[in-house]
Amino acid sequence: MKIGLVLPNIPSYSETFFKNKIVGLQQNGHTVILFVNNSEAESKYHNCTVVKAPKLNGNKIIVLWNLLLELLKMIFINPKRSYRLYKFNKKDNVSFIKNFKSIVSNQFLLTQKLDWLHFGFGTMAIERENIAQAIVAKMAVSFRGYDHYVYPQKNKNCYEILSSKSVKYHVLSDGMKKSLEEKGISEANISKITPAIDINLFEALIIKKSTGILQIKTIARLHWIKGLEYTLEALALLKTDGIQFHYTMIGDGIEKERLVFAVHQLGLSENVTFTGKLSPQEIKEELSKTDIYLQYSIQEGFCNAVLEAQAMGLVCIVSDAEGLSENVLHNQTGFVVAKQNSKLLFEKIKQVIQLPEAEKKNIQEQAILRVQNEFSLEKQKERFIEFYQ
Amino acid sequence: MSKKVKIAIYSGEIPSTVFIERLILGMSKNDYLVYLFGYQKRKVNYQSKSIFVKSYSDNRFFKFLLLIKYSVLLFLFNRKDKKTLDIFINQNTKNKTLSKIKYYPVLWYKPDVFHIQWAKSISDWYWVQQFGIKLVVSFRGVHINYSPIFDPKLAEIYRKYFPQVDGFHAVSKAISLEAQKYGAVAEKIKVVYSGLSEIKNDNPREENEGGEFKIISVGRNHWVKGYTYSIDAVKILVSHGVNVKYTIIGGQNSEELLFKIKNYQLENNVVLLGNIPFSEVQKMMNNSDLLLLPSVEEGIANVVLEAMQLGTLVLSTDCGGMNEVIQHKKNGFIVPVRNSQKIADAVLEIMKLTENEKNNIISNAKETINKNHTEDKMINDMISLYKTVLNQ
Repeated sequence: MKIGLVLPNIPSYSETFFKNKIVGLQQNGHTVILFVNNSEAESKYHNCTVVKAPKLNGNKIIVLWNLLLELLKMIFINPKRSYRLYKFNKKDNVSFIKNFKSIVSNQFLLTQKLDWLHFGFGTMAIERENIAQAIVAKMAVSFRGYDHYVYPQKNKNCYEILSSKSVKYHVLSDGMKKSLEEKGISEANISKITPAIDINLFEALIIKKSTGILQIKTIARLHWIKGLEYTLEALALLKTDGIQFHYTMIGDGIEKERLVFAVHQLGLSENVTFTGKLSPQEIKEELSKTDIYLQYSIQEGFCNAVLEAQAMGLVCIVSDAEGLSENVLHNQTGFVVAKQNSKLLFEKIKQVIQLPEAEKKNIQEQAILRVQNEFSLEKQKERFIEFYQ
Repeated sequence: MSKKVKIAIYSGEIPSTVFIERLILGMSKNDYLVYLFGYQKRKVNYQSKSIFVKSYSDNRFFKFLLLIKYSVLLFLFNRKDKKTLDIFINQNTKNKTLSKIKYYPVLWYKPDVFHIQWAKSISDWYWVQQFGIKLVVSFRGVHINYSPIFDPKLAEIYRKYFPQVDGFHAVSKAISLEAQKYGAVAEKIKVVYSGLSEIKNDNPREENEGGEFKIISVGRNHWVKGYTYSIDAVKILVSHGVNVKYTIIGGQNSEELLFKIKNYQLENNVVLLGNIPFSEVQKMMNNSDLLLLPSVEEGIANVVLEAMQLGTLVLSTDCGGMNEVIQHKKNGFIVPVRNSQKIADAVLEIMKLTENEKNNIISNAKETINKNHTEDKMINDMISLYKTVLNQ
């Protein structure tokens, strides 16, 4: 089978699951073609061809030249497919100008003969709902969190056309599956495949009692979605309570200023470190020196970082945001706290600190076991092969 | 008659914010010549003959002409100073042409005082002192309250230049203390509170049909405004069965706030609006039961002053200089920052006030404005700062 995967960019090093999915499919005799929106991406990725979207913004001369090339493609290479796309778009009441723009800008998706066209994020399928049909391929769409829970708040009805099409959906959690079903998508067309991690990289630690000051950590993009302000406020309560700790925030992002100010205002400057972005090896190193891992997100598709932390045998406290409560089983493999409430988070952290060692150990062991059994890359590979059958 | 004093009010952009424009007009009415340098964002039409706009625009050709004009003037009539400034430009600036376009007019007109409205630009302008121009710097909100915390380089710049500045204007006592951490000399700082022009509010409050308690917040969509805390507070109120309608003017299109509202199912209780004309804002404020300022940091929020002047009750967080304006339960209400529970508790308390108690607080609030926040007082205080700096 020939499978086209549409992504914003070629997967970064940390997006293990994409690489794993691609390699898994290739090992099973399928061909994978990567379509990316970034015109400056590399042309090869793990033995798959990378087809890049033309650059249609910025320097006017380059844009004009690219437009001309796309027009030529439309006329000489993809006339039939372009016409079909036009017809289908028209049926969906897309205006002529929008329709024309869509045909020109999506030529790169029309060039390949595929069995499946798979949009890696829900948002990537918007205004491209008819492309699969135009190239006579089946259509698949992955929802990963932000695209399902946040993007539609600002962009009402953005998936209206998509939901009228024949699509196979891939989601990360049961919660997401249920929410799609509530929107009228048939259960048979939705597959839950959770993310997976490289268990060999994040192997379990020999559980030891830490000697120094209590180490609390979070890996997250510095973005409001991650609930880091609530986290810091909970930690401020912890400090007021007389508990000594150090908190490390691993990651970078647009809201660093907000968080640095919060740390300052909450009197946590001595207790908090921002490391910025780290490599997987460095992350592993950091996690191996951690007592409690926090992921108190406001919104979360599933969260690989929590899987990695559990795989290493860390005690995890997470919020109940979407996929997180399936990622961590409350009181079994970690602790789940209602989101957006720093007082509740503070109380849970305090409780966990006071937990008897035996109980802690039990939770850590269960977490390791569950990740190994259910979230391995092997498991994910199998499920994706099933997905396209 | 002595020569009129030339004051340059510099905010980088022309026209500037409402309050800076108010200062410009106020100074021009008081026998001062006001010079405006910087980038011309929009066309302005000042009636006063004491205001001189010496701006540059985006147009390359006009920029070039400007450069030629001032280069020639300075070369012919003030060659020595031009040479000194050129050395400075060569040693300290990256874009030498743009620096000349920015700096030459200032050197040519040589105001007696160069007053920087945004402290961040101090490293661009400290050179004016070399030419006998007195340098005054304003401390207004973010540039002092959090930028240097996030940006250690900026903090370093402040520490380097603040000790040499001739005079400072602080919008609150709180910000004056904060600035002293970066080496601003206490004796050189004058607190000049924002002043409002007089208004007559004859509009009767519209009858409240839904019987809901109307809360309003006004301000751009930025984390510093703390809207996440006020929406959390509304959630607490609604869960207590309180019938509340909360409007955020300026909060429209914030993904974070929209997500929260949907998540808490507060679609019927919270409304996010875009920017609307000031007269409309005033009307809405007038028809609200409470103005809420949930910010995590402020200088002194003008919107609170405006609400107090209009006769709308105010509830503010205790950030920046807000406690210099609001005395809890006397002329308004004040709660700690980052605490939605305390906001909700205060709203419940305010809802229980008798008409008499409310009127009392409102009249105290108006008195506070009349005493400390009139335009006349602001201008007089600023003049006294300039006089001190000029040893008059």
